[in-house]
Amino acid sequence: MLDTFIQGLFAVFQWQTFLVMLLGIFLGFWVGLLPGLGGTTTLALMLPFIYKMSPVEAFAFLLGMHSVVSTTGDITSVLFGIPGEGTTAATILDGHAMAKKGEAGRALGAALMSSLIGALIGAFALALSIPIVRPLVLTFGAPELFMLAVVGVAFISSLSGEGGRALLRGILAGLLGLLFALVGQDPQAGVQRFTFGQLYLWNGLDLVPVLVGLFAIPEIVDLAVRGTSIAGELPQENLSKGVWTGVKDTFVHLGLTVRCSLVGTFIGIMPGLGGGVAQWIAYGHAVQSARDSEERTGFGRGDVRGVLGPGAANNSKEGGSLIPTIAFGVPGSSSMAILLGAFFLQGISPGPDMLDKHLVLTFSMVWTMVVANIITVAVSLFFLNYLAKLTLIRGPVLIPFVLFFSFIGAYTSNNHLGDLAVLLAFGFFGYLMIRCGWPRAPLVLGFVLGRIAENNFYISTIRYGSAWVGRPLVLMLISLTVIVLFFPLIRSKWQESTKGETQ
Amino acid sequence: MQKFRISFFFLLVLVASVPSHAASVFEGKTITVIVGYKPGGGYDRYARLIAKHLPKYIPGKPGVIVQNMPGASSVIAANHLFSVAKPDGLTFGTFNNATVVAQLIKVEGVRFDLAKFSWLGSAASDAVILTVRSDVPYRSAGDLRKAKQFVIGTTGPGSSTHDFPALLKEFAGFDFKLVPGYSSSADVMLAVERKEVDGRAGSFDSIKPFIDRGLVRPILRNRTTAPGIEKLPVDEDLATSQNGKIVMAVNAVPTQIYRPFVAPPATPKDVMKILRDAFANALKDKELLAEAEKGKMTIDYTSPEDALKVVAEVLSQSPDIVQELTKHIKFGD
Repeated sequence: MLDTFIQGLFAVFQWQTFLVMLLGIFLGFWVGLLPGLGGTTTLALMLPFIYKMSPVEAFAFLLGMHSVVSTTGDITSVLFGIPGEGTTAATILDGHAMAKKGEAGRALGAALMSSLIGALIGAFALALSIPIVRPLVLTFGAPELFMLAVVGVAFISSLSGEGGRALLRGILAGLLGLLFALVGQDPQAGVQRFTFGQLYLWNGLDLVPVLVGLFAIPEIVDLAVRGTSIAGELPQENLSKGVWTGVKDTFVHLGLTVRCSLVGTFIGIMPGLGGGVAQWIAYGHAVQSARDSEERTGFGRGDVRGVLGPGAANNSKEGGSLIPTIAFGVPGSSSMAILLGAFFLQGISPGPDMLDKHLVLTFSMVWTMVVANIITVAVSLFFLNYLAKLTLIRGPVLIPFVLFFSFIGAYTSNNHLGDLAVLLAFGFFGYLMIRCGWPRAPLVLGFVLGRIAENNFYISTIRYGSAWVGRPLVLMLISLTVIVLFFPLIRSKWQESTKGETQ
Repeated sequence: MQKFRISFFFLLVLVASVPSHAASVFEGKTITVIVGYKPGGGYDRYARLIAKHLPKYIPGKPGVIVQNMPGASSVIAANHLFSVAKPDGLTFGTFNNATVVAQLIKVEGVRFDLAKFSWLGSAASDAVILTVRSDVPYRSAGDLRKAKQFVIGTTGPGSSTHDFPALLKEFAGFDFKLVPGYSSSADVMLAVERKEVDGRAGSFDSIKPFIDRGLVRPILRNRTTAPGIEKLPVDEDLATSQNGKIVMAVNAVPTQIYRPFVAPPATPKDVMKILRDAFANALKDKELLAEAEKGKMTIDYTSPEDALKVVAEVLSQSPDIVQELTKHIKFGD
């Protein structure tokens, strides 16, 4: 197995393969940066180009492109507060807050380095899990997937901010998110829900217009109102020097970075959870790592850990989601579904074959992700100083471009004016939420998890009656949910008692 | 005599200029192919494949681009092609073949009439089959009928994964327990492998790799056949009532025009002739066929006349059948 592993590395460095991989990286770099233009759509558009390539070349190209999208998407999230990709929205919360404090360089350095570590962990997880992946995925059935969604929803308690009132608002926001997820045709009886006769809403609300609306529009409004540049009137020495501080931060908090990478990988492995979930759960976990309630209030205002968590997770999930795609031919996310098409185009049937007959190809895919991300991060680090200076441009000059890209980005979802209507509606709603002090992260989490939770609950109940609740893994996940829900409460009580002792 | 010669000469010029007028319609222009789904899916791939090879067969060699217009299981695209797109030959498109059923059962939001479109034809037919996991003890349709509460995973009403077994349950006496809600047919396949469900129905093309791998075995098919499954029993033959047979037929017939391509109604006849011939020829093109083979895309041309016959057959059903159909079939993805 080790020699196949090395063979995979050499396969990537053949000059033709390396060249197409560079081409893919170049494409992915810009796709990630531009908000809305998604890695998934671009993958689909690139499919016709791989007809004449060999399998290793084809996947070096496609994966070279797709695996760097989450890395550069973080850059847009940090600098402008617009999600560069659907999967990089969580980075906005603390990343953009840091940019507004004049710490854009540090945030970018942290985002890039954590992305690299996440990508490496995800890629090696793919390589290492090959012997155990089949039994692992087969054990997680609909009841377990439902419980995973519940655990995810429980993280709302960590995303809501400090205090009982914030928690209540967080829970309400989460439930509202679940409600928004209901829009569309229900998969059990085929009935239209909340579509108000609009054909556009049949398939539900699309993630990108909702995210861009919730996060980008309020930022743009805020920028317009302030009248300054993104970095405000604060002293600028921190701006570019901060990059290396950010990089170092990743290693100072290496434990958190690695843990969030593992979370991202695991979520990527579970088919059906989708790409948008990992970043929020990682963010929730990062918040939990705060040592006391004072630190916790720092989240959302520019705590570097809030960048490290999602930055790592949204890259590690790439490697994770390749696992069920390769091992079972079941895509872990919609971009994986497109990649599956690429497999068939190359005449390869994903499944057990990939883990023995085509093992070199599988390992070459692992190495592609590793090498592509190393190259991207290295190249980006050179340009970061210039990128960070973008936050110095005056708001009135920047806003038209940012607004333009937000609109285009939202429109690419469905090429339908409805996308823009959703963008504006959620933009307005997001602005209201900020003004009234309601957290947006729980709403997004509820929205992303809604369908998964509902479908899997329904499947579990139809298939197993009530017996599924007693399954061992389900019981474990129930206890995990309770722990996650009450963790902040438990910890503050424990800290109060230890504080009391020292006094 | 002179007058006759002059008028004959004018007539000749007129006649000769008509095809070149039609040819000049495409010179230097771009044709847009509208696809009712997002990039990457089956309909999109067929459209892009055809878009790539079509210009060779159209005089004037226009550029051909694809525009995705997803939404409402392609009803949005169908509506657009029917009333918004200009009928000048520079736009045509493809959408869900089940839209003909949507039209029949009067789904809300449908604002097109498939019989009025200018048809180019269909690029492929699709056999729908029912499969069971290989380790299950039922080897034939007869065996399967005896099973109690046999679990079949589906992606929800409106898709072939759901409707095919639902009709078998209702009209052919199979005791199926349908479990809808899986987010894609690939997820159903995983559930089969995981033993959460025991069977799966759906398009033969997409299940074929799993049959070849030995994960599932085919038991039944609908009336559309494909190489390798000709000998399977057909669902209509197992129906226990005449109504049931007809409902199954109405549900199955559109799969013969699985990848329909149409142009807006009232597109001029001469322009349509060019498009139709180009379409038919492109589907015989060696390079296209080689690429399709590589991408495991079946190519199986249906002429526009035959496609219209299929549409007419579905739309001419009596109100009782429509009522029966509405009870069991929903339109969706």
